[in-house]
Amino acid sequence: MSTQEISLEELRQRQSRFRGLEAGHRACLGCGQALAARWVLEAAGPDVVVANATGCLEVFTTPWPESAWRVPWLHSLFENTGAVAAGLEAALKVQGKTAKALAFAGDGGTFDIGFQALSGLLEREHDVLYVCYDNEGYMNTGVQRSGSTPHAAATTTSPAGRARLGKRHLKKDILAIIASHHIAYAATASIAYPEDLKRKVRQALLITGPTFLHLHAPCPLGWGHDGSLSVEVARLAVQTGLFPLIEMERGQVIGVMPLRTIRPVADYLKLQGRFGHLFRDDPRAREELEHLQALADHNIEVFNLRADRPDPADSEGADTVRRGRRRF
Amino acid sequence: MILTRGAYALPGTSLAYKTGTWRLQRPVHRHRAAPCHAACPAGEDAQAWLARLDEGDSQGAWESLVSANPLPAITGRVCHHPCERACNRGQFDQPIAIHAVERFLGDQALANDWPYPVSPPSPAAPEVAVVGAGPAGLSCAYHLLRLGYKARVFDALPEAGGTLRTALPPYRLPRGVLEAEIGRLLNLGIGFEPGVRLGRDVYLDDLRRQYPAVFLALGATRPRPWDVAGVVPAELHQGLELLKEWVSVGELPKADSVAVVGGGNTSVDIARVMRRIGVPEVHLITHRALPHPEVPEDDWMPAIPREVEQAQEEGVVFHPHTGVRRLVLRGQQLLGIELVKMKKLVQPDGSLKRVPFEGTEKVLRIEQVIPAIGEMVDPSGLESLLGCQEFLLVDAWGRVAGISGVFAGGDMRFGAGMVSIAIGDGRRAALAIAAYLQGKEPEAEPVKTIAYEQLNVNYYDHAPRAEPTLLPVAQRVGFAEVEGGLDTAQAAAEAARCFSCGSCLSCDNCWNLCPEPAVLKLPDEIPGQVRYVFDYDYCKGCGLCARECPCGFIVMEDEA
Repeated sequence: MSTQEISLEELRQRQSRFRGLEAGHRACLGCGQALAARWVLEAAGPDVVVANATGCLEVFTTPWPESAWRVPWLHSLFENTGAVAAGLEAALKVQGKTAKALAFAGDGGTFDIGFQALSGLLEREHDVLYVCYDNEGYMNTGVQRSGSTPHAAATTTSPAGRARLGKRHLKKDILAIIASHHIAYAATASIAYPEDLKRKVRQALLITGPTFLHLHAPCPLGWGHDGSLSVEVARLAVQTGLFPLIEMERGQVIGVMPLRTIRPVADYLKLQGRFGHLFRDDPRAREELEHLQALADHNIEVFNLRADRPDPADSEGADTVRRGRRRF
Repeated sequence: MILTRGAYALPGTSLAYKTGTWRLQRPVHRHRAAPCHAACPAGEDAQAWLARLDEGDSQGAWESLVSANPLPAITGRVCHHPCERACNRGQFDQPIAIHAVERFLGDQALANDWPYPVSPPSPAAPEVAVVGAGPAGLSCAYHLLRLGYKARVFDALPEAGGTLRTALPPYRLPRGVLEAEIGRLLNLGIGFEPGVRLGRDVYLDDLRRQYPAVFLALGATRPRPWDVAGVVPAELHQGLELLKEWVSVGELPKADSVAVVGGGNTSVDIARVMRRIGVPEVHLITHRALPHPEVPEDDWMPAIPREVEQAQEEGVVFHPHTGVRRLVLRGQQLLGIELVKMKKLVQPDGSLKRVPFEGTEKVLRIEQVIPAIGEMVDPSGLESLLGCQEFLLVDAWGRVAGISGVFAGGDMRFGAGMVSIAIGDGRRAALAIAAYLQGKEPEAEPVKTIAYEQLNVNYYDHAPRAEPTLLPVAQRVGFAEVEGGLDTAQAAAEAARCFSCGSCLSCDNCWNLCPEPAVLKLPDEIPGQVRYVFDYDYCKGCGLCARECPCGFIVMEDEA
């Protein structure tokens, strides 16, 4: 069948995958979060209900009177996504429905503003998959720093200037906090490894009880890179060791994606405007660069990211290409 | 459905808003030639036939291959395969073993008698005369047939094949393969007149009168004369003559020690033949360097690198960057040759000159010296065309300057000297002849290649190259073929290793990685058809698909 025999509208209805998030949304060019949200729903399937915190994802998908969602979806407040998702789950349970409750929030809604609701959700053991789309700042309101913004990144509230070179503090170790809630499953994933990401969503949905996914999703606008580079930037975050892909059960690390090639952090940083000041001819810039390299090396050591052993899940190999999507 | 108070919207209604209006650049599918295609002297698109093989269609792969080169079982064995040096995969791990897969497909066609995708010419079609039944002549005749013309091939020898038959040692090209492939080709309806020599049985002027066009492909069959400061030893035999004798008889008189002079394929072949007939000490003297990645390629000896390697395994002693300064004679008897180290160096006036280094002279005691410093065209029957030149001067289409309707190619023209070049010459000349007979200019074939940097190699896995097995040195006697072939699984694995540079791999990357999504996938896989369409109503032009396409098949174009 060719495009002569079928209209694009009809073809769109006949795509061989679940379309939870439809085109026509207002995300920026090359938005990492739009990609990530589509894949989460692709893996989670139609039988879900979503509570979505305030943020880019909420704004760009639902310009009234339109919606880009094809699943039941509810906008919560910035601070209470965890509580709303818990309520959704309780309501579904009372009605005897099998739909799974999902909570979507950005890093602001997770690390900072919605944190107590999230902690309560985990502590009360609601059957909810909480997905944090981490673009490392308050991008929707104009690129302010968040608890997730990495050290030395410039934002409008942590600018690079004479006094400081970007954010003074470190990126909050959210997964360690989640781990101390002793939940059954928590994992990190990146838009550069879609097969790995979808596998982790499916893995989380197998579990009854609270689960947590931390998805690294570059923001071309806030990070200062071209939209076409979103996947490349996300891939480099993983390959440098700055964003390790790991899985945890009951707070223990049970799997990491070993890195076949470990790249220097400068490869990742120099693509992004928010780290541009680190490449000035300035001793402090060189120091910050070394600091970020040390943070990456620390991750590589702590999580044992060197690919000196076989990877049972073959996370990196899962996204290599074959003609006609064949797998070996 | 009861909707409570507050804002709501129906699912998927965002489709009403066409985000395509934001777009400044649009992604388009654009095929670009893989470097192997551009590098193939015969004009094969290896990427295209590897793709057919990867789809599981080996006969389709062979048909695609023979649309350019009708002799894959032969070239798969003897070609110098510049395609593999151009292969983008060489910058990732190792290049695809293109020659070995080509040979596999050629051998499959012979074993299964796959018919050439050519229909017999109509009796009324114009007939073109082809002089010389070597690779250039046969290729030209075959492509004339494909273009709807008849071809009549004349050759001085009783059998077709030219240099492939007379001078290519059977340990590189077994005679059974040669007979089978050329026999199948001639059976397509090519007229063949053996035993007709130009300048003795037929003249160029007669051919020009009888046929609307003539293609000359007589090869370079005369060894270039050799002497050292005007001196030659008594009983001098040229490498080419000895090689031809061994190929037809299988035996040669042997000395105890031999030096072959020259760095081309003939000299390496005769050196290896000398080892095969049992000469214990065989030297090869060349002005140039041994082929090595760290040496600039223009200094490499012209012989095929893998043949040089095999000759070394067989015990031929190479003397690179060396020249013969003097023959050491006692009366008529040769005692040895005086060698001197030399190198091509840039002179103060900018020219390149071979400079012998004083103080590096040494005498090599040998019984026989065999020159093989190249071949030139046998001028008989061509005196008026050649004048005092060693080769014919032709343009890129094989048109001989000054006489209309006469075309030439293969070893006759300057700069050829390889089987695949001859095959490409024959193909281009056939296109030029067809254009000439229609009163048109031949159309140039623009080949814009795709570089390694334009691929996204993050999506490829490392995989080792399938290496054909080599006969152990102890078993390399007589006509036994040295290099083995690939089995079906190895050939399929090589096809799967192909990066598919510049052509869609149907890998789903664009479909998966579009944030809108504005890339749609057609329901059925149709070979040769791209499976993805851009929905420009929603594509914002971010360029992610182009950036993440492993094959470089998507490019961004400015919106008008």
